[in-house]
Amino acid sequence: MFYPQEMSQVQLIIPARDLMAVTRELADQGVFHQIDGSNLALEPVKIPRPHKPWPEVAAAYASLERRILGILQTLTIEQGLTPAPEGTGIVELDQVQPLVEQIDQQVKRVREQISEEQKQLDELQGLYHQLEPLADKDLDLETLRATGYIYSILGVIPHANVDRLRTSLERIPFVFETLHQDEETAIVWLSGLKRDREILDRAARSAYLNPLVLPEAYSGTSTAVVRALGKKMEDIRQQMAEQGKVLTGIREERGDQLQTLLGQVRSSRILTEAMSRFGRFRYTYLISGWVPANRVTEFEQGLKGVSKNILVESLAIQRAHLHENIPVVLHNAGLFRPFQTLVTTYGQPRYEEMDPTFLMAVSFPLLFGAMFGDIGHGLLLALLGVLLGSRSVRALRSMANFGWIIAYCGVFSVIFGFLYGNIFGFENILKPLFIRPMNSILESMILAIGVGIVLLSIGYLVFIVNALMAREWGKLLFDHHGVAGLVLYWSLIGLAVEVATKHAPVPLVILGIAALISGLLLTFSELLDRLVEGHRPLVDGDLPSYAAASFFELFEVLIGLLSNSISYVRVAAFAIAHAGLSAVVFILATLISPSHGFGYWAVVVLGNLFIIGFEGMIVGIQSMRLEFYELFSKFFKGGGMRYEPLTLQPKIQE
Amino acid sequence: MFKTGVWGYAGIHARVRAKYSYLITSQEWSELIGAADFTALIGLLRRTVYGPYLMQLDEGVLTPRRSVYQIEKQMADTFNLIVRSTPSSARPLLTKFFLNFEVHNLKAALRAVQARASWDQAQRVLFPLGAVSTLPAQAMVESGSVASAVELLRGTPYYNTLSYAMERYTSEQSLFPLEVALDLNYWREIWTDLNGLPKPDRLQALRTVGSLLDVNNLMWAIRYKIYYHLSEEELINYTLPFGYRVRDADIRALAAGNDIAGVILRLYPSLPDISTLLLEPRKGLPELEVQLLRHVMEQCRKAFIGFPFHIGIPLAYLVLKKMEIQALTALVEAKSSRSPVEEFEAYLPLESKRK
Repeated sequence: MFYPQEMSQVQLIIPARDLMAVTRELADQGVFHQIDGSNLALEPVKIPRPHKPWPEVAAAYASLERRILGILQTLTIEQGLTPAPEGTGIVELDQVQPLVEQIDQQVKRVREQISEEQKQLDELQGLYHQLEPLADKDLDLETLRATGYIYSILGVIPHANVDRLRTSLERIPFVFETLHQDEETAIVWLSGLKRDREILDRAARSAYLNPLVLPEAYSGTSTAVVRALGKKMEDIRQQMAEQGKVLTGIREERGDQLQTLLGQVRSSRILTEAMSRFGRFRYTYLISGWVPANRVTEFEQGLKGVSKNILVESLAIQRAHLHENIPVVLHNAGLFRPFQTLVTTYGQPRYEEMDPTFLMAVSFPLLFGAMFGDIGHGLLLALLGVLLGSRSVRALRSMANFGWIIAYCGVFSVIFGFLYGNIFGFENILKPLFIRPMNSILESMILAIGVGIVLLSIGYLVFIVNALMAREWGKLLFDHHGVAGLVLYWSLIGLAVEVATKHAPVPLVILGIAALISGLLLTFSELLDRLVEGHRPLVDGDLPSYAAASFFELFEVLIGLLSNSISYVRVAAFAIAHAGLSAVVFILATLISPSHGFGYWAVVVLGNLFIIGFEGMIVGIQSMRLEFYELFSKFFKGGGMRYEPLTLQPKIQE
Repeated sequence: MFKTGVWGYAGIHARVRAKYSYLITSQEWSELIGAADFTALIGLLRRTVYGPYLMQLDEGVLTPRRSVYQIEKQMADTFNLIVRSTPSSARPLLTKFFLNFEVHNLKAALRAVQARASWDQAQRVLFPLGAVSTLPAQAMVESGSVASAVELLRGTPYYNTLSYAMERYTSEQSLFPLEVALDLNYWREIWTDLNGLPKPDRLQALRTVGSLLDVNNLMWAIRYKIYYHLSEEELINYTLPFGYRVRDADIRALAAGNDIAGVILRLYPSLPDISTLLLEPRKGLPELEVQLLRHVMEQCRKAFIGFPFHIGIPLAYLVLKKMEIQALTALVEAKSSRSPVEEFEAYLPLESKRK
């Protein structure tokens, strides 16, 4: 639970005749994370005609799959879940290609017509949007086409270029009018003497003034042109709707067939792509990859069932001194699994580092509940979470994991609601089991910092355990988040307690010495790390600049320690703000209806809904920030490789 | 809490000072310029701060282009390190300054589309920006047309700028209007960010980044005049009316056809006589640019003197680093094409008397 599942590296050598059966078995088992072994072939292999090399075959299937997906997208048909074909799982290319070709041609004709009409519509729409602001100005656009001594340009120009355009025309007489402007551009009318036409054109062009060119068919005033454009656009839209009906017909006729084709071609592509990554010898294939250690026996038996002469070698991998990236399988109990999504949003844990899902599953709802303690609000959140998590609402099924997180947060809100004596903002119904944050502001803040210190210390300890497991002694002892960092943090806390209370748990001298030594170790942590790990040179560049940079880094560390701990004050601040917001709702409700009539209760209900939605979201973001920024940054590197087993039903397993 | 001043800049100042000491010294430049060939140059560079990056690759695959890429990677990592420790008020300008390389990549991607180059060819000339950039460069190069490539930029800060310029691209089939629009927009945004800084930071940023903008603006004006023979109104529209030393009046003077050397010498009185450089523009203009860039370098060095807790320190360092990369790129190309030292030395943006 605390570490990703143990993985075994496996290597298979299979006779060429068992290739198809073994590949299918690997995909059916769905536990084998493949490594590209195509470069392992020791001798050039002649491909017997008419067979093509596997990468070429895989590319042909991939191209066909993209084509089918394109058709499905045009026809707005879902991909569906069609089972892979029986036997080898590979369908003959010659068998499916003509059929796909035929459907594609049928769809393409209609699509091209629609696309042509769409293009026409877009052009007209562009013109319409540019002229629409002038519709009420009743401007005679004919003057642009037929002028005597005046030359005019009506067009659109980016705001940023207007001043420069004016400047560039200072040596000739001109009139510049802004007819309409929006956020970034302006519709302008530039005019001058016809003899200066070239200068006006050059200036307009270089200022990116794009003239509005009206098709000959549209003439008259701006009002008339805008009306005519609108009519034409409506006609085109009707034609497009007719073509849409044709596409609907094709969809009804070919939908199932296309889904089946997609399933067949996709499984063929997956299997041939897998085969193209095998190392090929004259009579055998070499296959490399990773399998979860607890599945190796079953995996081996399955393969031996389809290939009697297969050779299987497996090696379980330890976590220390790793020099390669190993696929990571996280295995958390069902209760904690929703939080796995939050952890992987920050980063995929590496094979050798602790999976912080458990820590997050405990601390995230705890922080949320502490900031949002209210029995009523918590219950509503919990119900909403269960509704989402149970997948009973089809449209919200993708939010199931998120739903369980909300549910846990809701439960903790209820618990803290009892501790604070708060239900739907009413503070006079229940007696608090612990404190009312609004009435004990200082105590709440001190407690929040205390919780922060505990969580941050856990962060340091996890870093130390990770370094210990990876046998990185330099990091373990001297890193900012290692033993030296933790000693400095605790000794500074001790000193702060002594200053505040005069009752430090450890003698002042010991705290001072510990802070001094750990501070010195941190200052030279990089140098000491290299010394312990045997890396040379000990310092990049000259020692004085290294020392100066190190000193300021220590300065940054100290500021970081302070700000990280103080950051947790927000837990208390939000608990207080929650009570404050509720009080505001009641004040507003009383102002609306002093006699506590319908208006009063309407405001109370709406106010509570607002608090749940608005404050709930902010508190969620703050909890996330405390987890990711303050806690995870202490120990979590991430960057692990996702475990992506070979399977014909991708995205089902982690 | 610690946004500016000593609290904000203490850490970053120490970090940049340490990095500053690793900029290539004049002694090292002499050795690099004197290297017998490309292999010898790489051998020498392996002993500098770029060593670990060049050593990531075997000698066999270290082509000139690949080495430049590795050198650029060092700059990208350095930037990421610096920007992380910079106070939040200064971060937008620093990031925007670094994104000059993204504009470079964008232009390179558009050129690749225009030239129908493959992604494999195109990616060799892109700066390795990493996660800082969200440019869909590969999709753009593979999109097949400039219009589709621009469409892929929808939602990025570049889309509007390019879409206004697309009409001209469609009629002229030249990337010039797109590239000019990108440059103007980029420097306008830098100017806006710069003016949003607190006063002490603004003055420092003006000295470093503003000086660089001066050089760009002047060189644009001169090149448009000499190479493209653009008219007064075009030249004004393709340049910017602000800078550190350069004012709108100077640009308009150039646009109106005033003596270029006179305008430059009025702005930079310490420059030697540049009239001879303008007689042979193909050779002379790059030399003039290098001389102007030396002034920028001087301004950057000045940022490190006096009160040190301001944005000028990281900005000046990044400007100097950018020029170092520019000089190294030119040097790698010169050495790989076996050009004699006298043919390229004058075009390297190096300080004349670096201690």
